[in-house]
Amino acid sequence: MKRLLLSVALLAGPAAAAEPHPDATRVLSLGGSITEIVYALGEEGRLVGRDMTSSFPPEAQALPDVGYVRQLSPEGVLSVKPDLILAEDGAGPPETVEVLKNAGIAYESIASDWSDTGIRDKIDAVATALGVPEKGQALADKIAQEFSTAETRAKSVTEPRKVMFIMSLQGGRIMASGRQTSANGIIHLAGAQNAFYEFEGYKTVTDEAVLAANPDVILMMDRNAPQANKAANGTDDHAALREQVLAMPAIAATPAGKNGAFVQMDGLFLLGFGPRTGQAALALHDAVYGTE
Amino acid sequence: MVAISTGRMVRIEGDRSARARGLAVLLVGLLIAVSLASLGWGATDTSLSGVLRDLLSGRPISQQDSIVMLQIRLPRLVTGILVGAALAMSGAIMQGLFRNPLADPGLVGVSAGASLGAVAAIVLGGALPASMAAVFGWYLTPVAAFVGSWLCTILLYRIATRRGRTSVATMLLAGIALAAMIGAVTGIIIYKANDAQLRDLTFWGLGSLGGASWPKVTAAAPVILLALLAGPWLARGLNGLALGEAAAAHVGIRVQRVKNAAILTVAGAVGASVAISGGIGFVGIVVPHLLRLVSGPDHRWLLVNSGLLGASLLLLADMISRSVVAPAELPIGIITAVIGGPFFMWVLLRNRGVLDL
Amino acid sequence: MSVIAEDIRISLSGKEILHGVDFSAVAGELTAIVGPNGSGKTTLLRALTADIGYRGRIRLNGVDIARADIAALARMRAVLPQASSLSFPFTVAEIVRIGLEAQGQRDDNLIRQALQLVDLPGFSGRLYQELSGGEQQRVQLARVLCQVWQPVGPDGPRWLFLDEPVSSLDIGHQLTIMRLARDYARRGGGVIAVMHDLNLTAMFADRLCMMKQGAILAEGRPQTVLTDETLTAAYGCALRVNVVPQAGPWLLPQGAGA
Repeated sequence: MKRLLLSVALLAGPAAAAEPHPDATRVLSLGGSITEIVYALGEEGRLVGRDMTSSFPPEAQALPDVGYVRQLSPEGVLSVKPDLILAEDGAGPPETVEVLKNAGIAYESIASDWSDTGIRDKIDAVATALGVPEKGQALADKIAQEFSTAETRAKSVTEPRKVMFIMSLQGGRIMASGRQTSANGIIHLAGAQNAFYEFEGYKTVTDEAVLAANPDVILMMDRNAPQANKAANGTDDHAALREQVLAMPAIAATPAGKNGAFVQMDGLFLLGFGPRTGQAALALHDAVYGTE
Repeated sequence: MVAISTGRMVRIEGDRSARARGLAVLLVGLLIAVSLASLGWGATDTSLSGVLRDLLSGRPISQQDSIVMLQIRLPRLVTGILVGAALAMSGAIMQGLFRNPLADPGLVGVSAGASLGAVAAIVLGGALPASMAAVFGWYLTPVAAFVGSWLCTILLYRIATRRGRTSVATMLLAGIALAAMIGAVTGIIIYKANDAQLRDLTFWGLGSLGGASWPKVTAAAPVILLALLAGPWLARGLNGLALGEAAAAHVGIRVQRVKNAAILTVAGAVGASVAISGGIGFVGIVVPHLLRLVSGPDHRWLLVNSGLLGASLLLLADMISRSVVAPAELPIGIITAVIGGPFFMWVLLRNRGVLDL
Repeated sequence: MSVIAEDIRISLSGKEILHGVDFSAVAGELTAIVGPNGSGKTTLLRALTADIGYRGRIRLNGVDIARADIAALARMRAVLPQASSLSFPFTVAEIVRIGLEAQGQRDDNLIRQALQLVDLPGFSGRLYQELSGGEQQRVQLARVLCQVWQPVGPDGPRWLFLDEPVSSLDIGHQLTIMRLARDYARRGGGVIAVMHDLNLTAMFADRLCMMKQGAILAEGRPQTVLTDETLTAAYGCALRVNVVPQAGPWLLPQGAGA
C-alpha cells in the first residue's frame, strides 16, 4: 500500500525534470510526439519499441507496437526488454507503470502541453533523458526559429480568422474542438481564433451553434488510413469530403461555406505537438490566410 | 410395499450426478492445466519450467523472472480465475432465478449497473484528495460497482415479478429499458469526460485482465470469494424454483430468502468482477448452457462446474487476447464476444419454439 | 389429527372470492372438494397450502400454518399442483428426487418405487419436457409421494393436497391414481383433493365438500351430498343421480375391474 501511495503521489505531482540515461541502449517510446522527437534527435538507433500512436516517421512503424498508451500490458512492455521508457504523461494504467518501475526499468514521464514552450520543454526532457542535451539544444533552436517565424506571421494578422476544427462527422453530426485541445493549441499558434471557446475538449455541436460561431475556415484532419477516415468522416476522398462539408446547411451559410474555405491536413503533423509543429503552425497559417 | 434399501450407491437411470461429479473432476484438471499454461506463457521469454528449474537447483531467480511471475502473471491468473468463475456462476444463478436459460447479467442490465457504479466511483474518487483516493481507491470502485449491480438486479426482479411469477418478457424488456437509462446516465458522465478518459472508457467497456494487480485482487477477492462460496448453498433452492415458486415453497424452500440471497450473490460477483476487469460478456450465458447439455440442470453441480469452466474459458480467452497482437493485447471482451455472440444466436435458434413469449 | 380451517376469507383485486369458509378434513380419509367452475375450490386449496394470503385460521395437525416453518410444513404435507411448467431439461429422476430431498431422504429406491406406483416404470431417465401432459402429471405425483412417503410420521399423519390429480389422465390411469390416493388414506395419511369428475369422487371420496360461489353448499358422506337437490342447486342445471341412460353406449369408472 505504501508503494501504491508513493506511486500515486508521483503521478499526481508535477513532472520532475528528466534524469539523464546516456547508457540506455534499449529505449521504448510511448507517445507519437516523443517518438518523433527521438527520430529528430537522430537517436532512433536506440529505439526498441513504440506505442500505437507512434506512426511518424513511417520507419517507426517497423518497431514492435506495445499497444494503446493508456492501456499498456506490463508483460508486453517487458517483452521488448527496454532499459529506458520515455512516456508521455498519462501513460498507464498506473499499476502497469508501477510494475515496470519495480522491474528496475528507468521510466521517464514527459510532460506536454499544447504550446510552443511545451514542445521545447518536451524536446529538452527527451534529450536530457537520452543523455544528448547538445542535440536537444540544436533541435530546440531550430524549432524556436520556426516558431518565431510563425509568431511573426501570426502577429501580422490584424483581423484574426475564426477556425472551426471538426474532429469527426459521424452521421452528419459535427464534433468540434473547444478549449484545452491540441487543435485549439495549433489554431492559436497559427495566429487564428478557435471558433468554439465555450466548452472544453471535443463535443458534438448543433447546427445553430455552428451558425452562431460563424467560422471563416473549416479545418479537418487526414488520418492517413482509409478505414479511419471513413469511420470518422464517412469518406476517404478529400474532394468529396470538402464538397460534403461545405454543402452542410449549417456550414453553407457561414463565411467558410460561402468562400469554400476548407482545409484538411495530416493529423499527426497538425496535432502531434512534436518537432514538426512549428512547420505545422506555418502551414496552417498559410492555409487559413491564403499567404502561400 | 417393502422399501428395499440396498444403500446409496444404487444409481437410478436419469440420475446425472455421477456424470456431473466426473465432469467436475475433469474441469478441475482442465483449470489446473490452463492455469499452468497461462503462468508459463507470455510475451516475455520467462518460462515456468525455467523458473522451476532455478528454484529446484537453488539458483537465484532473475529479477525479470520474479517480476513477470509474481507481479504480472500471478495476479492476472488469480483475477482471471475469480472473474471467470464469478461471471459463469452468476449467469447460472440468474438463469435459475429467472427460470430462463437466456438470463445473463450482461444482457439484462446488471453489468450496466455495475459499470455505472464503477464510473461514478472513478468520477467521485477524482474529487477526493490524492492520498485518500490512494487508500480507498481500489476498495471504492468494487463496492460502488457492487451497489450499482445490486440495485439493478433488485429493481429488475421487482419489475418483472408480479404475484410471485416472474415474467420473462417483462424481464427482458425491463432489462433493455434499464440498460438504456443507465446508458443515458453514463452518457452524461462521458460527455463530461475529456478525450483521454473517453478512450479509457471505451477500452474499459471492452474488458481486460491487463490491469490485474495485487491491490485490485485483494480488493475484489473477498466479495467474489464470498459469492462463489454462497453460490452452491443456493443450489437446492434454485432446483426447487425450477418447479415454480409455489411448488418450491411446498417442498420446503424459503423462496424469498433464496431470491434475496441469489440477487446479493449475483450483484456481488458481477459488481466486483466488472470493477476489476471491465465489461466481459457472454461467459455467463455460454458456460452454464454447455454444462446443462452435458450433465443436466441440477444446480448442485451446475453452479460449481460453471465456476470451474468459466475460470478455464476466461483464462483461455485471455491467452488469445495476449497473443493475437503481441506485444500489445486485444481487450478480452472482444474475444468473448466473438466466441459468445454466435453461440448466443445458436441458443436462440435452438430454443425458438420454447421462447415465444 | 386433522386440517381445520375457520372463517376463511380471501379477496383478489378487491373482490371477495371466499366468504368465510369453514372446512375440515381428518387423517385416514380422502376428502374431495367439488363444485362448478369458479366456485372457489382451487382458491380454498391454495389457502390450505399457504400459497395465498387469507383471513381466518388454518391448522394442520394442530399447527397454525401461517406461523409454521416452511421446511417443517414440507415434511408434514405435499402438494400436487394443477399444472407445472419446468424451466430446464430435468430428467424424471431428478424431478422426483426434489420431493425426496424435502423429506431429508436420499434413498434412490424410493424414486424407483414411486415411479412404479404411478405406472411410469423405466421412465426415470427420460426428460420431463419430452413427456405427454398425463405423464408429466404422474411424474409430479411421484415427486409428491416421495415427499411424504410414509402416511404417518413420528409427529402424526402426513397429508397429500391434490389439485385435480386426474385431470389430464386416461380412465385407466385415473383409476390407478385414485386408488393410490385412497390407499394412502387407508394407511393413516390424510388426502384432500380438488375433483372435477363426480363419478370418481363418488367412488373414492370418504367425505365431500360441495362449493358454490365462494361458500360451502353441502358437506358430508358422498351419498348425503350427491343428491338431486344439491347437485341441481350447485351446477345450475337439472341433475339426477343413479339414473341409467336409455340409449348407449355409456361408461362409468365404477364398472372397471381391478
